[in-house]
Amino acid sequence: MNKIDIGNKEITITSSKELYIYDKEANNRIYNIEKDVVLKVYHYNYDSNSKVVINLNHESAEVEYHYSTINYNDNNTSITVNHNIKNTISNIYNHGVNVLNNKLHFDICGIVPKNIENCICNQENQIINLTNGNSTILPKLLIDNYNVSSSHSAYIGKFKEDSLFYLMSRGISYDTAIKLLVSSLLINSGKDSEELNMFKENIENI
Amino acid sequence: MLEIDKINVITKDSKSKILKDLSLKINDGEIHAIMGPNGTGKSTLSKVIMGNYKYELTSGDIIFNNKSIINLSVDERAKLGIFLAMQDPTVIDGVTNSEFLKTATTELTNERINYFDFIKNIDKCLKDLELSEDMIHRSLNKGFSGGEKKKNEILQLKMLKPKFIILDEIDSGLDVDSLKIVCHNINDYLKENKDTSVLIITHYPRILEYINPDYVHIMTDGKITKSGNIELAFETEKNGYNGINDVRKKISNE
Repeated sequence: MNKIDIGNKEITITSSKELYIYDKEANNRIYNIEKDVVLKVYHYNYDSNSKVVINLNHESAEVEYHYSTINYNDNNTSITVNHNIKNTISNIYNHGVNVLNNKLHFDICGIVPKNIENCICNQENQIINLTNGNSTILPKLLIDNYNVSSSHSAYIGKFKEDSLFYLMSRGISYDTAIKLLVSSLLINSGKDSEELNMFKENIENI
Repeated sequence: MLEIDKINVITKDSKSKILKDLSLKINDGEIHAIMGPNGTGKSTLSKVIMGNYKYELTSGDIIFNNKSIINLSVDERAKLGIFLAMQDPTVIDGVTNSEFLKTATTELTNERINYFDFIKNIDKCLKDLELSEDMIHRSLNKGFSGGEKKKNEILQLKMLKPKFIILDEIDSGLDVDSLKIVCHNINDYLKENKDTSVLIITHYPRILEYINPDYVHIMTDGKITKSGNIELAFETEKNGYNGINDVRKKISNE
């Protein structure tokens, strides 16, 4: 794993890498991705606002962004991907668990201007309300070019009762079943890291 | 072992009546099979025994080892030793088979797992079921073929060691070879655990050629309408669920 300091700031990514981030305070980051660079980010967020801007500034720049958050208070997540040049790729996965009756808002935007071709711009968003939280998702794709492959999805709701029934039918208690499902939603794709371990503790304490 | 006493069951959402005054008694070590046409409530019965939230018991009782279980949660019933091998096991992306089994074993036994024994046991079960080793690290039922899903249910059965097993159409979607493997594993389990009882829910008698039932019941319109031995299953296959009534009437008239 290639680790770099990733505090609240603007950074330029010049070589392909994976970043692991754990936040529990409001954070604000801008990524500028260079030519032929693939950036994978695993961003774990605990109950705070996040604002992320990703600029794909050179050809063959690619970003895969996995954002996972556990929410207790009113929080907003904003992720914007600017495809500033042709032949660029973005795949954004945002998963949140809203624990209490508060507000969790995702505003996710992929932008491909008119003269920018051959881009892939995808986003997938899910928020699970564990109680009666007020969650909202704006899955925005501002695509102004026909030669672009793009998709978006947004789901807000509870865990499927069939999944809970299946887990519990093997003797797993309701609380443990919920934790298993939360883990599967939030850390499914994450590799072992210090940041992931901190986030796992948060899941354990839900 | 299990006594179902005149249960009436409706669906919680549409309030449709599914099971009507259904009674059934299964003693320790007995194997019962329930056959019946589509939509008659066979799978509902299995889910009601397990405590599925979608159904409401309006009257009657379900007794397991002399204790009513109708007010117990799904996991509490499983902890008593009831196991439902499902017709269409749920896919849970992100929860690996091994993580799931470790969690279930820990919760069922209330003890820390001995990892050496656990891994050894899983390896043996995988071999017995002719399953590839990698499937233990895959997400639960995700991307599994129909046969793998059913074998995975039996893998869980072998690992979790229940006392009362419900096999809900475990034979559907299985080819002949896989059915033999699944049934062979269930029979081995029953040989090792002689007090274990089984309720087989099926459309076809083929599975009953491998797992020999003590009793066969025909279920129609939410209740058990006929009971007999394995011959009843073969008669049903030959004459159909409607035809069997005519044949039986004819025999009794003669």
